[in-house]
Amino acid sequence: MGTDPETVAQVRAWNAECLQCHVGDSLHEQGKGLFNLPKAANKSDRISPKFTASNHGNMACKTCHVGAFLSYPHVAEEISKKAETLGCNECHAQESFRVEAQVAKSVHSKNLKDNFTCSTCHDPHVVASAKKLGSVHKLVAQDNAMCMECHNSDKKFAEFGGKVLPDKKRPDIDKIHEWLPNTQRHWQAARCIDCHTPPVKANASLSVSHEILNKDKAQKNCSTCHAQDSALRTGLYRHIKETEAKEMGFANAAFLRNSYVVGATRNIYLDLLGLIMVGGTIGGVSLHGLLRILAARRRKS
Amino acid sequence: MSTRVFILPIWIRIWHWTNALLIIILSVSGASLHFADPELVLVPFALAARIHDLAGLALVAAYSFFAIANVVTGNWWQYVPKPEGFIKKCVRQVRFYAWGIFHGEIPPYPPTPKNNFNAMQQIVYWFIMYLVMPVLLITGVIFMWPDLAPKSVFGYDGLMPVAVLHYLAALVIVSFMFAHIYLGTTGHKISTHFKMMITGWHEH
Repeated sequence: MGTDPETVAQVRAWNAECLQCHVGDSLHEQGKGLFNLPKAANKSDRISPKFTASNHGNMACKTCHVGAFLSYPHVAEEISKKAETLGCNECHAQESFRVEAQVAKSVHSKNLKDNFTCSTCHDPHVVASAKKLGSVHKLVAQDNAMCMECHNSDKKFAEFGGKVLPDKKRPDIDKIHEWLPNTQRHWQAARCIDCHTPPVKANASLSVSHEILNKDKAQKNCSTCHAQDSALRTGLYRHIKETEAKEMGFANAAFLRNSYVVGATRNIYLDLLGLIMVGGTIGGVSLHGLLRILAARRRKS
Repeated sequence: MSTRVFILPIWIRIWHWTNALLIIILSVSGASLHFADPELVLVPFALAARIHDLAGLALVAAYSFFAIANVVTGNWWQYVPKPEGFIKKCVRQVRFYAWGIFHGEIPPYPPTPKNNFNAMQQIVYWFIMYLVMPVLLITGVIFMWPDLAPKSVFGYDGLMPVAVLHYLAALVIVSFMFAHIYLGTTGHKISTHFKMMITGWHEH
């Protein structure tokens, strides 16, 4: 959809028609706070800011919701038979093709088979790209919320997992990550997928692999991220790699705006100072000691 | 014939060697964290983080013991540089390190029960123990509980200045450690000061 004012106005008008009914504790996305603005709100403003800010925020409802959804008033029998919501691959064909093999290898696909689709994680009404979100903290919060929606809810976990793995109990997230120092801090600063997907190369066409790894295969080598050549450069901070340049001597300065990452956000000037101080002391005392030995020999002879 | 003077009570010696061991452990684990590199591993990161946390807490405990015992025993006075003849004493000490030691002279100010330290030791130890160590420990504690740090400082993560101060303080301590070990050899004999730190008796 275009972003010129006329198209935007047209889309808003179309969506406002849908939102005459799909509002409040309405038929759509109940409980998600997406379309639940007060009924008294101006009809054209009823749509949630979350949706407006999302990647699909300038799209009409009827772009995806087609078939019997297009006729109004909806006919009950037709809705149940002919209403259709287009799959993501209708528009995102290239991306779907690229991630297909990765998704197939993902622990979710292996365990949940066809129950697991794009929208299981990526709610099309709210998902926003890193650039749109504008901050790494917001990106981390959004992406981790996708995982936590199931992995922090027994109800949701059972809803998906229960069908195929009835005996599988949801592991306690805090408990299984006890080994990770400053666990909560990590969850504010990095995404689950930063460890639970294989690393991507800097020039890869997708910013993140869709092969979600289970705990046995997930990244446990801290220095993958905690190093100057940090994997966060090609992962979480990929979209702002232009600002990777050093600032005030700090490597990976783009990280530093959000998190001090031990080992990655080192300062080259301070490292040089360290080399001079410690190296100078060792060199100085070594030289002094050597001269003492030579002087003692000379005195003896 | 050599004479023996008792200088160091047991608590100072135990504290000193505990402190020494912890500083070595913290230097190695700290360097492994700060200079972390998957290609060049000194101590694996996760292990280094755990060791650094535990040894850091132990150092806080050791320092607290040192501070309290210093007050209780009056030992804190040893660290305070005395103004009388201070500059002259420092110059004489420097002259010894730069000249006398190479010409077989004996140290100008050997330890006595009243004055454990020469003037240069007083000022350096005072700086290290009462200024640098508190900075190192306080920033270390904030590092361990990062929520204590401000959320952001000048648009950067609030942990950044904490990390920089911690690193700078650690550089001073590590440099001091090497100099301190070496200067331990500058007693009457090379082993004199090391023996004193173990037995408490100074021989000269």
